[in-house]
Amino acid sequence: MKKISILLLIFLLIFTTACTKNVETPTNTGQVEETQDETSQEQVEAKGSIILSTTTSTQDSGLLDFLLPIFTEETGIEVKTIAVGTGKALQMGRDGEADVLLVHSKADEIKFVEEGYGTERRDVMYNDYILVGPKDDPLNLKTDYPNNILEGLKRIAEKEAVFVSRGDDSGTHKKELSIWKTANIEPSGAWYLEAGAGMGDVLKITSEKQGYTISDRGTYLSMRDVLDLEIIIEGDENLFNQYGVIPVNPEKNPHVNIDAAIEFMNWITSDRVQDLIKEFGVEEYGQPLFIPNAK
Amino acid sequence: MRIHITKLKKYYGERQVLDIDDLIFEEHKITAITGPNGCGKTTLLNIIAGLDKDYKGEIRYNGFYLNKDITDKMTLVFQKPYLFKRSVYENIEYPLKIRGLSKDIRNKKILDIVKKLEIEDLLEKRAHLLSGGESQKVALARALVFEPDLLLLDEPTSNIDPDAVAILEREIIRFNEESKGTVIIVTHNLEQSKRLGHRIVEM
Amino acid sequence: MNYILEGFKEAIRLLISLDKEVLSIVSLSIIVSTSATIFASIISIPLAVYFGIKKFKAKRLFSRITYTFMSIPSVIVGLVVAIILSRKGPFGHLNLLYTKNAMIIAQTLLVIPLVFGLTYGLTKSRGDVIERIAFTLGANKWDTIVLIIRELKVDILVNIATAFSRAISEVGAVMIVGGNIKGYTRVMTTTISMMNSMGDYPMAIALGIILLLISFIIHSLIYSYNRED
Repeated sequence: MKKISILLLIFLLIFTTACTKNVETPTNTGQVEETQDETSQEQVEAKGSIILSTTTSTQDSGLLDFLLPIFTEETGIEVKTIAVGTGKALQMGRDGEADVLLVHSKADEIKFVEEGYGTERRDVMYNDYILVGPKDDPLNLKTDYPNNILEGLKRIAEKEAVFVSRGDDSGTHKKELSIWKTANIEPSGAWYLEAGAGMGDVLKITSEKQGYTISDRGTYLSMRDVLDLEIIIEGDENLFNQYGVIPVNPEKNPHVNIDAAIEFMNWITSDRVQDLIKEFGVEEYGQPLFIPNAK
Repeated sequence: MRIHITKLKKYYGERQVLDIDDLIFEEHKITAITGPNGCGKTTLLNIIAGLDKDYKGEIRYNGFYLNKDITDKMTLVFQKPYLFKRSVYENIEYPLKIRGLSKDIRNKKILDIVKKLEIEDLLEKRAHLLSGGESQKVALARALVFEPDLLLLDEPTSNIDPDAVAILEREIIRFNEESKGTVIIVTHNLEQSKRLGHRIVEM
Repeated sequence: MNYILEGFKEAIRLLISLDKEVLSIVSLSIIVSTSATIFASIISIPLAVYFGIKKFKAKRLFSRITYTFMSIPSVIVGLVVAIILSRKGPFGHLNLLYTKNAMIIAQTLLVIPLVFGLTYGLTKSRGDVIERIAFTLGANKWDTIVLIIRELKVDILVNIATAFSRAISEVGAVMIVGGNIKGYTRVMTTTISMMNSMGDYPMAIALGIILLLISFIIHSLIYSYNRED
C-alpha cells in the first residue's frame, strides 16, 4: 500500500507541475505584453506564442502539422491552433481571442479588414473542392458532367439523391451554399441532410448513406481509404477556394501579439514556404493539396 | 422435523465459536436454547436455517441433507424483524404468493393467522412504521402463515411489551400442539425457556 | 459582453415562442435518452442485484472493475459503436450508423455500467438483510431479486435518474454515432456544441437552459418521492 501511495504522490506532483506550467504561459505573456513598449529586450520574449484561428479543413488536411513545427523552429514562436468554422474564426478575431487568422471566405475577410478588425489581408493559397459520391454513381454524373458542378447539383436535386451538407456555417458550407445559389437551386427536403459537423464527419456520413457531398480535396484524399466514395465532379472554376491570412488589429484588441502575427504572415507568404506548400501532399497523394498563390 | 447435528465446528477466523459433537432436536417438540451472550446460539440457528454454510460437520433434516424442499418447510424469525415496505397484509401474503397459491386461499390463510395473533386492525398499515411488539407479531404471522414444519426463533420477545409476549408465546405453543410443528427457540430468558421448552439445551 | 446579453434575450424568445426547431431537438433528446435509460435499466438492474447478493471469490476485483467502467468516457463508447456499425464493420449491413437507433444503442451501452454499478453497490450494502428474510420465507433466486428491487425501489429510481442525467447531458457518443444531422440525429448537446463552433449563441443558451430545467425537474420529483417514503 505504501508503495502505491508514493507512486500516486509522484504522479500527482508531475500532474500539478504540468498544470501549473500550462497556466503560467498565458500569465507570462500577459505580463510581458504590458511592458512591451518599455524595452525592446522583452519584445523578443513577447513573441513567445500566438493563437492561430483557422478552419477545420487546413487542420484536417495535415498542412498545419507539417508547416507549424518548421515555423516554430525558425522563429521560436509557439503557435496554438484553434480549428473552427470560418464564421467562428472571424468572430474570434473580432473578440481578440486570436492573433492571426488563416481562413477562406474572401468577401467576409475583406469586410473584416475594412471594419478595422484586421490590419491587412494577403492571399496565401487556394485549394479546390470536389463533389464526391458513391462508387457506382447511380446518377451517372461522372460520365455526363465530369467538370460541371452546376449541372451535377441540378440532377441531384431533381432526383432527390441524398446530399450531405456541412450545415455548420463553415467556409466550406458557405462555399457549398454559394454554388447551389449559382445553380439557382434552393436545396431542401428529406434528401438534403444538414450535418452540422466537420468535413471528416460529413464524409463519413456521406459514405454510410451512400450519398453525395462537396468536400475539399485534401480532407477527402487523406480519408479516402476509409470511405466508400470517389471523386465524381472536379475542375470546375466554381469549386476553387482562396485562403487568406489576416493579423488581428491590436487597435481593437490591445493584447494581440501583433509582431508575431505579422511575422507569421510574412513567413507563410514567403517564396520558400510557398514552395513547401506546393510540395505538401505530393508524395502521399500524387498531387498537391493546396496551390500557393501569394503575391 | 427432526434435526440431527454431528461434529459441528464453526470458526470466525482463528476463533472457534461452535463445537458440537452430537445434538438432536426432536420432532414435534419445542426446544429452548439458552446460554450466555456470545456462546454461538444465534450462529447455530443460522446454520440450521441454511443461512450460514461456512462450517464443518453434518446436519441432517429427517435424515436428509439440506435441500430446497426442506428450506421451503422451515423458517426463521429474527430478533429484529425486517418487514417489507408494504402493507402488513402484503407482508404476510409474500410467502404464499411465491408458493403460487390462489388469491382466495391466500386471503383465507391471512385472515386466519392475523386473528390468532390479534393484529386484524393492522392489516392496511405500512409495516415498517409499526412498533416493536406489533412488528414481531407480523413477523411471526408471516412465518406461520405458510404452515412450516420447523420454526426457528431467535430471541423473538426481547424488548417487547408483556401483552405482546403473551400472545407470541401462546401462538408458538399452539403451532406446536395443533400443527405438530417443531420449534427451536433461542432465548436468554430462563423463565421463558421453562414456560415453552419441552427440553432446554444449555450452551 | 453585449452578445452574451443578446444571446440570453434571444434564448428566452426562442423558449417562449416554442420554436419548432428547438422543440424537435429537445424531444429527440428525451426520446433517445429515455429509451437508452429504460433498456439499460432492464438489462442491468436484475444482474446488478444478482451479483450484489452473490458471494464469490473475486468479488472485490469485480467491484473495482465495475466501478471503473461506471466512468467510461462517452467518446470511447461512441467510437466502439461507430466502428461496429459502420458499413465496413460487423453490423454494417443494418445501416444503423448516423441514425436515431445508433444513438440509443450507444447511450444504452454508456449507461449500462452506471446503472449496474450504482445498483450493485446499493445491493451489496443493503440487499443482504432482505436476501436472508427472503430465504427463510422460501424464496428462490429470482423471487429474491424481484423482492430486493421492490424493497430498494426508491434508491434504484435515483440510480435510474442519475443514468438518465448522464445520457441526456453527454455529447461524445451521440456526436460520433449520430452525426448531428438536422431533423434526424440532432440533439441538445450536439446542437450546443455545434452552435458554439459557429459562434451562434442564442439557441445554444436556450438549449442549455432547457437541459438544466430537465435535470432540475427530475431531481425535484425524486426528492419529493423520497420524502413521501
